[in-house]
Amino acid sequence: MDFGFSSEQQDIRQLARQILGEQVSAESLKAYDEYAAPRFDRALWRTLSEAGLVAVPVSEAEGGGGFGFMELALLLEEVGRSIAPVPVLSHCVGGLMVLERFAGSDLKQRLLRPALAGELLLGAAVLEAGNEDPVNPLLTRAETSGDGLRLNGSKQAVAFARQSDYLLVAARHVDGVAVCFVDTRAPGVTLQDCQSTAFEPQAHVLLDNVEVAAEYVLEPSDGAAIMHWLGERLCAAHCAHQIGVADAAMRMAASYTSERQQFGVPVATFQAVGHRVADCYIDIECLRLATYQACSLLHDECEAGVETRIAKIWAGDTGHRVNYATQHVHGGMGIDRDYSLWRYSLWLRHNEMTLGGSSVHLAALGRSLAAGEGLFA
Amino acid sequence: MKIQFTSEQAALRDELRQYFRALMTKELRDECERDMGEGGGPLWREALRQMGRDGWIGLGWPESLGGRGLTPLEQFIFVEEVMRAGYPFPFLTTESVGPILAEHGNAWIQREIVPKILAGDLLIAIGYSEPGAGTDLANLKTRAERDGDDWVINGQKMWTSLAHFCDYTWLAVRTDPEAPKKHKGISMFLVPNSDPGWSCTPVHTLGGVRTNATYYDNIRVSDDHRVGELHGGWKLITGQLNRERLSLINFGPSAELFNATVRWARDTELPAGGRVIDQGWVQMNLARCRAAIECMKLIVYKQSWAMTAGNLEMADASAAKVYGSETFIELYRALGEIVGQAGLLRDGAGCDSARRLERLYRTASIITFGGGTNEIQRDIISAAGLWMPRASR
Repeated sequence: MDFGFSSEQQDIRQLARQILGEQVSAESLKAYDEYAAPRFDRALWRTLSEAGLVAVPVSEAEGGGGFGFMELALLLEEVGRSIAPVPVLSHCVGGLMVLERFAGSDLKQRLLRPALAGELLLGAAVLEAGNEDPVNPLLTRAETSGDGLRLNGSKQAVAFARQSDYLLVAARHVDGVAVCFVDTRAPGVTLQDCQSTAFEPQAHVLLDNVEVAAEYVLEPSDGAAIMHWLGERLCAAHCAHQIGVADAAMRMAASYTSERQQFGVPVATFQAVGHRVADCYIDIECLRLATYQACSLLHDECEAGVETRIAKIWAGDTGHRVNYATQHVHGGMGIDRDYSLWRYSLWLRHNEMTLGGSSVHLAALGRSLAAGEGLFA
Repeated sequence: MKIQFTSEQAALRDELRQYFRALMTKELRDECERDMGEGGGPLWREALRQMGRDGWIGLGWPESLGGRGLTPLEQFIFVEEVMRAGYPFPFLTTESVGPILAEHGNAWIQREIVPKILAGDLLIAIGYSEPGAGTDLANLKTRAERDGDDWVINGQKMWTSLAHFCDYTWLAVRTDPEAPKKHKGISMFLVPNSDPGWSCTPVHTLGGVRTNATYYDNIRVSDDHRVGELHGGWKLITGQLNRERLSLINFGPSAELFNATVRWARDTELPAGGRVIDQGWVQMNLARCRAAIECMKLIVYKQSWAMTAGNLEMADASAAKVYGSETFIELYRALGEIVGQAGLLRDGAGCDSARRLERLYRTASIITFGGGTNEIQRDIISAAGLWMPRASR
């Protein structure tokens, strides 16, 4: 059992923190507020790619950085800390990692190589209206068409859909679940822009008799296992992002209340204020440990269903509590758009709710316990 | 970063679980039950000596101090398993005061006291609180005065738990009444409870557990009984409390209670039909407990790991104490709701979880203030963990 970071992991964290610290600021983020521009800093994305960070989770044999999911989680934590406008989560988890793990050499040649070279942007369309379970698509259907598939249906609120070249799509097939990559410019694909709470670029993806060639099909009908694999990693990735967002918000609250004077003293000296921030510290430590545990198990391809759900429950609870505590101790400053906390508030909410809030995962964990799983060793 | 047991650690846990299955005989269990889960009976003492003879108590202690040289993490696995087995392990002696004595004790202590702790042959109570010194511990009045080569100790302590069957008291006393800062005039002594000047009276508590008031009337001890630097006791107290906080939130018994309650809920039919666990709210309560205990587990493993690496942070020890103590209380409530009415019956009406929960719920209130009140812990977190200024006291 080792809770320490290897020197490579420290380097990755340090490099990410340095680049993001230099290139993301309250001023630069202002450009994307209220969707004034798509929240995607392409110059920053290029810098991260050239520094080798985007390729971090892919093995050297496939042309990546030679690390894994744990290192990607550390990168995502830094992306969260700076709430950087870059598609690390959707591209790396929904694109690169799935391709490396499940694609044949032909599809790797078509998508993974160019994606690693920075020529293609990838993403994953996993949410549907009223359905947050990536494993079980209900509103998207696939039927066999020649050697490939024909898709009909819709996906909701897909991150970076318009900016992506290919999206992973799972669809209900008569024999199970089909998983494939869809060209966002293919005939029959309509992208309907939507506006989300944290200004993330998102679109609903409508699929009307979209033909997918066999080369782009990961699994024609037996794809539930792929989606299970991906769903857990997407969940854990949001948790890792949430650590960074929450930690940054807490530190803002600690330093603001240490300077803000009322009654002639810093407000941090009131126990009621100090204790509220101390509770954030405890919550974030729990989120961090639960997330690192899930990520380190997933990194090693170990079974981590229970651990990932627990991490997402903490991402929801910690996100909610840290959000309102840090807002509260800031007084009016927290909501003032000239101070940077308000954007963190939106991202805490984004990570809390995306892929299911705490109650969704508590209920699922409860069902597992009733089914005889999940006891302590 | 690898948050899994090594195969050696997993094997150690399995070995210990088997060991305690054999050690915890029905007679020993009954005796511990009678003693309100505090220990002190003859079978309990003999079992502790057995653990000492089998080399378990000092598993994670350095070999130079008579231990087996594994790390604090293995030591924690041992404590987790012994407590999971339902044995009231005297962790204040072995995990908290013991290591401080091993590190700071003089030659006499190293020779006469430490080996007996590792042998399971010597028990120590903690004498900090006084009628006028609780959270403001530095206000303590019990004093030790120099008389020739000896010290003469006088005063009174409160909440000296386990003292009625311990051999020594780890006593905080004032040695410099003139010190400009109260906490700079305190020294630590190891006082024999067998001294004729030592006495104790019981204090009965809500949960039925006994604690004590202890009295120190002209107890004369040699300078050998003093630990650490003269007037330098505060550092030892805070070091001891950091270790105590970790031991206090051992999650082993909670994990075991959780498993037992899930099994009961799975196996128990409701009179109206269906199993207890088929109810949605029961599943939600269990899921909340599962997620909460998981983090208790991770917090203590991380701290054991940090102790091995020599970087146990004060804020993290306090965070563990706050989180653990408040989580215990929520767990007892949430699991208690599941066993329902049976959780009010002292025999649990045939449900062992209910029987345990009945007692745990009423003995739990001590944990949020024992070992340093949670308000002080939160002060430590915001000051030491986040550099927030603190009001002067």
